[in-house]
Amino acid sequence: MGILKDKKAFWVFLLPGLLFYILAVFYPIEESIRLSFMKWGGIGDKKFVGFDNYVLMFQDRVFYKAFFNNLIYLLIVVSMQLIIGLMFAVLLSYMKRKVTLVKTLYYVPCIVTTVAVTQLFRSMYATEPEGLINQILNAVGLNGLATSWLTNIKTVLACVSIPEGWRFTGMYMVIFYAALISLDSQVYEAAKVDGANEWQILIRIKMPLIKPILLLTLTMCLTGALRGFDIPFLLTSGGPGNVSELMSTYMYKKAFSSNQYGYGSTLAVFIIIESILVVSLLRAGFTSREDRETRKMQKLKKKGRSVKDL
Amino acid sequence: MKKRLISLLMVFTMVTALLTGCGGKTDNTGSGGSDSGKNPSKSSEEKTVVKWLASRPVDGAIDLTMREIAKQYSEEHGGNWELQVETTADRPSYLQKLKTLIAGNNMPDIIDIDADPYCKELVDAGMLVDVKSFLKDEGKYDDFYPIALKYQEFTDGSMYTLPLEYHVEMIWYNKEIFAANKVEVPKTVDEWLDVCAKLKANGITPISVDGVDRWPVQRYLAMLPFRDTGNDYIINLRDGKASMGDETGMKSIKFLQQMGQYFNEGFAATDYATAQSLFLDGKSAMYYIGDWEQAAMLEQYEAGKVDYFYLPTTPDGKTGANEFCVNSGIGMAFNTKTFDEKTKDFILYVIDNYGKIYAGRQQMSPIKTELPKDIKFTDLYLRIQKDMNNTGEHFLKPWDTYLDSGTNAIMQDNMLLVASGDMSAEDFIKLVDDSIAVNKQ
Repeated sequence: MGILKDKKAFWVFLLPGLLFYILAVFYPIEESIRLSFMKWGGIGDKKFVGFDNYVLMFQDRVFYKAFFNNLIYLLIVVSMQLIIGLMFAVLLSYMKRKVTLVKTLYYVPCIVTTVAVTQLFRSMYATEPEGLINQILNAVGLNGLATSWLTNIKTVLACVSIPEGWRFTGMYMVIFYAALISLDSQVYEAAKVDGANEWQILIRIKMPLIKPILLLTLTMCLTGALRGFDIPFLLTSGGPGNVSELMSTYMYKKAFSSNQYGYGSTLAVFIIIESILVVSLLRAGFTSREDRETRKMQKLKKKGRSVKDL
Repeated sequence: MKKRLISLLMVFTMVTALLTGCGGKTDNTGSGGSDSGKNPSKSSEEKTVVKWLASRPVDGAIDLTMREIAKQYSEEHGGNWELQVETTADRPSYLQKLKTLIAGNNMPDIIDIDADPYCKELVDAGMLVDVKSFLKDEGKYDDFYPIALKYQEFTDGSMYTLPLEYHVEMIWYNKEIFAANKVEVPKTVDEWLDVCAKLKANGITPISVDGVDRWPVQRYLAMLPFRDTGNDYIINLRDGKASMGDETGMKSIKFLQQMGQYFNEGFAATDYATAQSLFLDGKSAMYYIGDWEQAAMLEQYEAGKVDYFYLPTTPDGKTGANEFCVNSGIGMAFNTKTFDEKTKDFILYVIDNYGKIYAGRQQMSPIKTELPKDIKFTDLYLRIQKDMNNTGEHFLKPWDTYLDSGTNAIMQDNMLLVASGDMSAEDFIKLVDDSIAVNKQ
């Protein structure tokens, strides 16, 4: 144990991880920021253009389109993953038998590769040959609703969001389930004795108790959705037009298809800032008034104690 | 003392681990370097490795022919020579890979590229070999069909890419559907529209289109401007001398809007294979594709079920019935830094041997060659070959080879909305014109 007390030893252990982090995460971010002030087509010298790319970005109609699309995408994905995931987890926690089977079945979509998920949904949305969704709509007599889901500009954005939501619902369900069953049952049994019904126990006792998990999953889910790329890109690559364009697909297209590395990096920097902002807002929001008050109280208590000590 | 020893030992282990880690990294960059093919020729006692980053279908005729030639050549050189082919048939992925390699200063020895503005940038940076003067110096220029070479030229007449294929594009149609609906093969564009309207009125999908790959839809945009002006309109558009909204541009947009109604439902999400099988299964009456799909068409062609016609004409157009989209596909270009005598020798060997082997696979060769006697060519092949020998002076050059990649992406993304009626002509004109103005700088 003596070695670990030595400050130098800390560094020796930290260094490999730190170096890897700097090379794999920090350096690319720094390069993106640097490139975002340049104009570069991939050949020849980079030209410094100051804030031109940022000015361009805020005048770009597609950028706003992608931004608002991203918000809708976020809403659909997060609500599917968290709300449905939580709902399933709660139901599951009341189940007595075959819990493992159900858990495994719901978890399966997470381990299917992205391309397979995409292909699955592409076939379901298809019109020719007729996909599952249109077949069902036609079978129940709702022919009017059948459409080409991925090319109809009214449906395409929702259609590229749903697979991502569907895919990870099971994962969040498992996380929530683990949190729910690890709660101390004495707490809500006591509440039951006091006359609380199941709904009150769920909302007033269980939910507040798993709040840290909710915060964690919400962070994971939000940052995941902000970076959402693979399924939308594979399904429509942002099309038709820019109707289902997301920030990340637009960034990718600008940098790697249109060779505007500078502008692409500007969009990437925006995504980074956006993600940091969302996470810190989330943290601030979750530290509720009560928490802040208890913290204040603790501080005061400490002060009081130190005053007493004097 | 003991503690000290242990901590020293720990430090030593960590440092060793770190050094090994770094060593691994150097190794990686080393192999990255040889990926780019810069060093193999230097270690000349060893095997010479030439790297070709290709965009040809795996096990397609070109891929197989080139591998066969490379093997033959290697055997003639005592196995001391190797062509490493890395092929990505999917064009957007290929281009992205290529551009990333070049941006990272790792350009392979041989690449595939169209004579587009990006290629022009490479030429201007002195990275590509002047293929025109190479062919002329070596006396091989006249071995090629003139149009096959002309297709590879930039507007200024210079040429930096070598063609390996030669194609015509046509409209295939289902004879049974045409007969059942009493429509004739259209000669003019107006007749073509009438045929489509009649088929649609009878509940038939007139045309199946692969919208996922974009280019098939872009051809429809290019059709009328080509009939009216040859390739002048698109050249002027690229140079900012014409607008998408002027007379020819409007005609082109209107035509796409009209034609769009006759495409299969959901064409924007229909891929190549689906569009083709729609046609071959008799679910659509027409399908626009080049002769490279003749093998897929052959069975039904021989059974008298399908046939083809070329791009219909307009009454007082500049181009005639024997002028349509003829192309020699994506070309092969050479890295100036690694184009040494050895590579040159191999390329000359390719030019001498390619035509015969490639044609032997029932393909149209860009290099003049006598058809091998021991292979029986199909009637369809011979008929298309005759057509190709009778094409006129003008040929429709795909628009994506003219436009800068930024404008091209905007045009290709948004024309799908124009074709499906979800975007107005005015919006489309503004998007394209603005992008050209911005990217011209």
